Parts: sequence; C-alpha cells; structure tokens
Amino acid sequence: MSEMIKQPTREAEVAREQEPQERRRSALRPAVDIYERDHALHLLADLPGVTAESLSIEVNDNVLTLEGEIRLAMPEGATALYAELRGQRFLRRFTLSHEIDGEAIEARLRDGVLHLRLPKKESHRPRRIGVQAA
Amino acid sequence: MFADLKRLDSGLLQELGGLRQWLDEVMSDPAAADIRAVPRGSFPMINLARTDDAVRVYVFAPGLAADALEISIQDNLLTLRGERPAAPEEEARVEFRRERFTGSFSRTIALPDGLDGERAEARHRDGVFEVVLPKREELKPRRISVQAA
Repeated sequence: MSEMIKQPTREAEVAREQEPQERRRSALRPAVDIYERDHALHLLADLPGVTAESLSIEVNDNVLTLEGEIRLAMPEGATALYAELRGQRFLRRFTLSHEIDGEAIEARLRDGVLHLRLPKKESHRPRRIGVQAA
Repeated sequence: MFADLKRLDSGLLQELGGLRQWLDEVMSDPAAADIRAVPRGSFPMINLARTDDAVRVYVFAPGLAADALEISIQDNLLTLRGERPAAPEEEARVEFRRERFTGSFSRTIALPDGLDGERAEARHRDGVFEVVLPKREELKPRRISVQAA
C-alpha cells in the first residue's frame, strides 16, 4: 500500500497510529485519506461491506478506533473459490492530538466509505492579528 | 574422483528436481495460476464463492454508486470497469495521507466454465457489488435416485 504522508507537521501527529499486534493479524487495515480543511481534519476510510450497525467509532484517551464488521449476504453452503479480501472486519487506530474536539466528531457512511469530520477546538484555531496603522 | 562428484551432483539435482515438483504440488494455489491475477491491494478487490447452483462474485468497490460500475461477461471472462474520481484540488486543503485508490480501473477475471451469463444478476450494497452467475442446468449437481430392483 503506498503512503504519501506530508512530513511531520503538528497536525500530522494526529495520524500517528496505534495498533496492538495481537489484533493486527485477524483484522484488515482499511485505506484512509486524511486532510485538513476549514478548521477540521477529515478522514475518509474504505470500509466495503460495513453497515452503520456493524461500524463502531470510539474515542478513548485521545485514541480514535475505527472498527467495522464486513456484512456479506452469503448464502448457506457457499464455498470460497478465490479471495483477495480475506477477513471479517476492518480495524484501524489513530492518536488524536488534543486540539481535536472529541465531542464534536461527525461521521457519515455511504457506499462503504466512512467520512469523519474531526473539528479543532475553538481555542486552537488560528487567529488573525490585525495590524493597526500607527 | 570427478566422476564421483558428478554422480553426486546429478543425484542431488534429481533430488532437488523432485523436491521442486513436490513443492509445486503442495504450494500451488489455484488462484495463482490465473494469468489475469493481480497483486494484492488492487482496486477493486474481488472474492469468488460457489454454491450448488451459482457462482457469486463479490466486488469490493467502496465509494462507487450502483451505476458507476460497468460489469460485462464474455464467455467465462468477467470484466469490471469504472472510475473513482479524485477529490478536486483545493487550496484550502492540506493533505496528510492518501492511501485510497483514485482514478479509472479495469479488471478482468476468469470464471469457472459452464456459467450462464444471460441470467446473471448484480446487486449493490454498502460498497460491495454482488454478481450472481447461475450454473447451466446440465452442470448442476444431480441426485440420482436408486430404484429398488
């Protein structure tokens, strides 16, 4: 998987990941895009087959956990012939920096793509300082 | 002396040949034999499953609307075409990570023989397309009843 990460700015710390080793094996790691716009970080994650009911988004101690179970309507008695996607669930974790307002995170799931909006706290937004004429 | 070495050599080679053959047999993955197989992580990913009466193709294409994937079948080749457009460039946008696939794609996979492309059906849900290709009647498993003599 190719990764293009802008090298460390303060905001990039948000994207530093935490993934305990024991869970990494059984879960798939979804591809994500992360960008900043309008005083918020946006995270897009590919979660095909995950439904609103099977998706869990948690923020705990500044760690954002995305976990989703893949729900496929496979008929009884089906046998796999070939599989590129091998696994039942997606899992990925990110450390949030404290400028993110954990209470104000918004999530939308559409066609298997999760869009998270993580707004920054008011106090962390850039302020424009007006220069007065002498 | 050299003759001995040579003999040893050829014996070893034969053994290695046997070993390789054995490895090929043990390690061979039926999927790896497909000339159209693609490296892992390609978009969209595909799974195939078989039931008694059909083969089901699962196409994992998150972000694609139902009409954004073109599915066509010729003989036993299934071709998937589509595009997942990139987000428009914006000045106000600072990028940190870009792992998700963008752009157009075209993938072809070989299906087992004996499927009825005419009766194929496709569904779309949560970013997964499911294509159901029924087996032709003559290939479905049949139960043969034994008559009492």
